[in-house]
Amino acid sequence: MSGSARSEIFSRLREASRGETEENIQRERLSLGSAPSPMPPTPENCQAFILNVLNNQGSVDCVSNRSEAVKAIAHYLYTHFHNYRLVAGNDPRLAAMPWRDAGVLPRFGSLEAGEPVALSFARLGVVETGAVVTWTSKANPAANNFLPEHHIVLVDKNDLVPTMEQAWERINHALETTGRPRGINFIAGPSSTADIEGELVYGAHGPHRWHVVLLGDIPVDAQNIARAAPKDQS
Amino acid sequence: MEQHSDTFLDNASEALKNTGQAERRDKIALFASQIRTAAIDSFEGFDDLRHHVKKIRQHSLDNLDYYLSQFEKEAVHNGNQVHFARDSEEFNSLVLDICQQHDARRIAKGKSIVTEETGLNSFLQSAGLNVMETDLGEYIIQQAGETPSHIVSPALHKSANEIRELFQQKHDLGHRELQKTSDLVAEARNVLREHFLQAEVGVIGANALIAENGYSMLVTNEGNGDLCANLPKVLIICTTIDRVLPRAEDATAMSRLLARSATGQPHSCYTSFYSGPRREGEIDGPLETHFVLLDNERSNILSSDYREILECIRCGACLNHCPIYTSVGGHAYGSAYSGPIGSVLTPLLTSLEQSHLLPNACTSCGRCAEVCPANIPLPDLLRDLRHEEGIKKLSAPRWRYGLKLHSWLARHPSIYQTLTATSIRILHRLGRKRGGFSRLPFTSGWTSQRDFPAPQENTFMQLYKAKMKQNNER
Ligand code: SF4
Repeated sequence: MSGSARSEIFSRLREASRGETEENIQRERLSLGSAPSPMPPTPENCQAFILNVLNNQGSVDCVSNRSEAVKAIAHYLYTHFHNYRLVAGNDPRLAAMPWRDAGVLPRFGSLEAGEPVALSFARLGVVETGAVVTWTSKANPAANNFLPEHHIVLVDKNDLVPTMEQAWERINHALETTGRPRGINFIAGPSSTADIEGELVYGAHGPHRWHVVLLGDIPVDAQNIARAAPKDQS
Repeated sequence: MEQHSDTFLDNASEALKNTGQAERRDKIALFASQIRTAAIDSFEGFDDLRHHVKKIRQHSLDNLDYYLSQFEKEAVHNGNQVHFARDSEEFNSLVLDICQQHDARRIAKGKSIVTEETGLNSFLQSAGLNVMETDLGEYIIQQAGETPSHIVSPALHKSANEIRELFQQKHDLGHRELQKTSDLVAEARNVLREHFLQAEVGVIGANALIAENGYSMLVTNEGNGDLCANLPKVLIICTTIDRVLPRAEDATAMSRLLARSATGQPHSCYTSFYSGPRREGEIDGPLETHFVLLDNERSNILSSDYREILECIRCGACLNHCPIYTSVGGHAYGSAYSGPIGSVLTPLLTSLEQSHLLPNACTSCGRCAEVCPANIPLPDLLRDLRHEEGIKKLSAPRWRYGLKLHSWLARHPSIYQTLTATSIRILHRLGRKRGGFSRLPFTSGWTSQRDFPAPQENTFMQLYKAKMKQNNER
């Protein structure tokens, strides 16, 4: 059935198409250039990224090294859960963190029922949307993105890119060198819905809290913005 | 879904009687247009972006055979099976076949308007499958046994109270009262979480297909589509053949338009790209993935004068800004697609004979074209459909004769002017005292809601001529 459907559909499409050569089609697409993107809220990348994460109803910690990152995560866990447990994918970058220094007890694998917190290490952060980018793999099982109550995401400052176009440049390069993952996820905030009378509610299906830990040499102004944002203790 | 656009006028009159829903629609229309305007005002390059995406869409449609086959090749390379369906029947059977091959009983479904178009749910259900909609709005209307009233917010017509009563009927709540909206959301989350974990097949839609790498793009705020895509063992991605874009960056450029136009957000929460089954070493994700791509007249629309309608990105802005849609709501259209987009698309997907009333659900105000991020000249397409309706003699004879008479008069200005001047003078005399009429022949559509104001004594042409004469005498 599908075979004849396919050939019938394609023959109608060929009739409607301009019948250009591949070369001409590629050339025409190239000539159309790239899309305009919105101006960032401020020119400095870290600051703009943090502002957008906060706009997305996320919270942010700025840390300058891995030991501080572990401490910040420990603090977050204790504040919300009074313990130090979380689940993380088998990401060598996460395995190499000095967890014991702050008493954090990560379980490496995919989130299971009853586990409320997962940690991911983002491949990229997109300044334009305040989104983090992860892809599905052993290092970041999909369940860890979409099933926890709280999703914590580490982002290296060096992995921030200004626009989605630049994000794709980096992703395309990765796809060529390390192969295509099954899923690429841009995540910009906790899961939300406005399906009941337009009222916005967080935690529709996935995380109702989303916390970003920005790692690296972060300008003081940017750090101050993250620090000044109100922290929800729920 | 079952189509009943042929009874649009009755459906609309019925809808107008439900004042509660009409009031909510009024509020939402006002709110939706305000947040859209705010989102667009804060992005200076919005119009340039609109033009850019328009060119990309035109280019993709001009070369759709090339891009669709490139997409197919890349998707197969990523480990997917790609299927094509000429019509709804073929489409539904393909999906059912895949489910049956895996002895699936439970299906978790993300929002997909294409599957509304084909009536997939009832087809799968009649084969004994348990299909659960997981988008909150879709879940609510599925529980209520209704159809979507809006392409973006399917449960727009329901109040929180109605939803509370529905959950009280359908769920085992014990003593829980679900007073707040967040309680209602949490309740649905718990029920659906179970279903996600048990479903054998996930079905999702796609906002775009990407030719260069064989991925689909899915944009949501809830993340339910992502659970459908990642938890069950089999994933089926359902969309139509016209959704292909050349590059990944083209899809994200389109998403910039989409979120701002649909919900007034600068972007949605989850923008996800999927292609293929679990990779080596991965511990979750589907083991088998399928794309099922529907034509259903789109290849014909492509070579017709209505081609531009295929550039629609399904943002719903034209619905939110349409005076007809916001008065009568989505159900009146009797089709999966409502509002201006539905009034153009439905006759093209079905037939003008079945749906010719829809292109008449238009005041020619032009707001839809103004807000459409895809720059589709919706009022022109609606007018062309009405023109075809006239040629095919589908409209009521009194309408056609009325229009003929009007067109004859318009081509004979002196008779037109004499006639209008006489009737205006009579109306002026009769209505001078009261200032208006509560009833007049042929105008019940107007006077049932409001008075018809009594006209001034002279017509525009009379005033204009007098003015010109004065000027010449000076
Ligand atoms: S026709 Fe335009 S405004 Fe209407 S849904 Fe499609 S893209 Fe949006």
